[in-house]
Amino acid sequence: MKIKELIINGKTAKFPIIQGGMGIRISLGKLAKACMNSGIVATISAAQIGFLRKGFKDNPMKENLIALSEEISNIRENNPDGILGVNLMHAMNNYQEFAEFLSKQDIDFIISGAGLPVDLPEYIKNTKVKGAFIVSSARAARLLLKSWDRRHHFMPEFIVCEGPLAGGHLGFTKDDFDSGNVEDLESIVRTTKEIIKPFEEKYNKQIPIIAAGGINDGHDIASILKSGADGVQMATRFIASDECDASDEYKDMIIKSKEEDIVRVESPAGLPGRAIRNYLTNILETKRIKPKYCVNCLKTCNKSNIPYCITEQLGNSSNGDNKGLIFTGAKAYLITKIESVDEIVKRLIAECKIDLSFN
Amino acid sequence: MVFEKVKELIAVELGIEEETVTLESDLSDDLGADSLDAIELIMAIEEEFEVEISDSEAQKIKRVNDIVSFLENV
Repeated sequence: MKIKELIINGKTAKFPIIQGGMGIRISLGKLAKACMNSGIVATISAAQIGFLRKGFKDNPMKENLIALSEEISNIRENNPDGILGVNLMHAMNNYQEFAEFLSKQDIDFIISGAGLPVDLPEYIKNTKVKGAFIVSSARAARLLLKSWDRRHHFMPEFIVCEGPLAGGHLGFTKDDFDSGNVEDLESIVRTTKEIIKPFEEKYNKQIPIIAAGGINDGHDIASILKSGADGVQMATRFIASDECDASDEYKDMIIKSKEEDIVRVESPAGLPGRAIRNYLTNILETKRIKPKYCVNCLKTCNKSNIPYCITEQLGNSSNGDNKGLIFTGAKAYLITKIESVDEIVKRLIAECKIDLSFN
Repeated sequence: MVFEKVKELIAVELGIEEETVTLESDLSDDLGADSLDAIELIMAIEEEFEVEISDSEAQKIKRVNDIVSFLENV
């Protein structure tokens, strides 16, 4: 078995690896450029990307759109041909406005998770930008495909299947985790591969299935490719890179984390998130942190009795404050040093090739 | 009658007893529908009643009565 290329929007990435979007302000232009230069797909995160701009608290939408467009132009100046996407959470307020804005930018795809983006095709249908979604079950994939097919006659460019070991917001409820009712990544990939078949036939189009959540090294990649995935999405691994846009403090938290430091926290987004245990998660075990301000970011936030404000806490950590929320994937504890993206990608591929040729 | 048919569909889609479904039932809080159930239910209603429920209309649906009045007004 060989490592195949990944084709998105008519462009080819040498390796079937997508660097996953990380917000707030963790995966931006610097990381994106390095990833594209190393032959993989890059994703920046739209989540409150304007957080550090003056005027953000007064007019977050305006500042977010300016920051998005600046980031994209900056990337494209250096790398006009790489495959670049934007992660846009469906739970965001103003989802439509963001998606319509992004559909006119020089990007290759919009990918949405954190909810079910039934309406995404409406905003990108007649543009050069493709659509993709992140799901944590074959059932969600089937419903979205059925809905996109029926309402919009539109298919995703690829589908990310995200298992329970992912970072940031997770696709399983606290009850699912507590009761053990979580499907492993391999099974989600296999069942999703099955349900896409009729849609692939109807549209005469291949829909690559990209596996995400807990993919940390080349052995993990080889193993999930053997289970039928067409590629992987990795995010946490790239936080520990020279080029990642996260603060040095954030990167340090990742490489120093131990297995027992990685915990699940409640999030105002509705589903749990995974983070590194710190000042914030310790406080949240017994009390809530009253938000200092509100930029009306999430559709799913009920505002009155949330444990903390997700924008405030992720924003703080993006700014170098390690008392904020440090989102991470489950395998961050295996990462021990910061390297260049190119070194990381080369090793991933070398490890993956060995496994694919010997087994 | 629209409500009778809707009640039956909801019971089948959510795997619950028809008797627990009333006009006032909140799909999520009372009947336990999650976001996937909601989409599945909307698509089943579209098929059964041969109507199209737009995404913005679908987002307004919280209670069984919202579905019934939508169907009675199309």
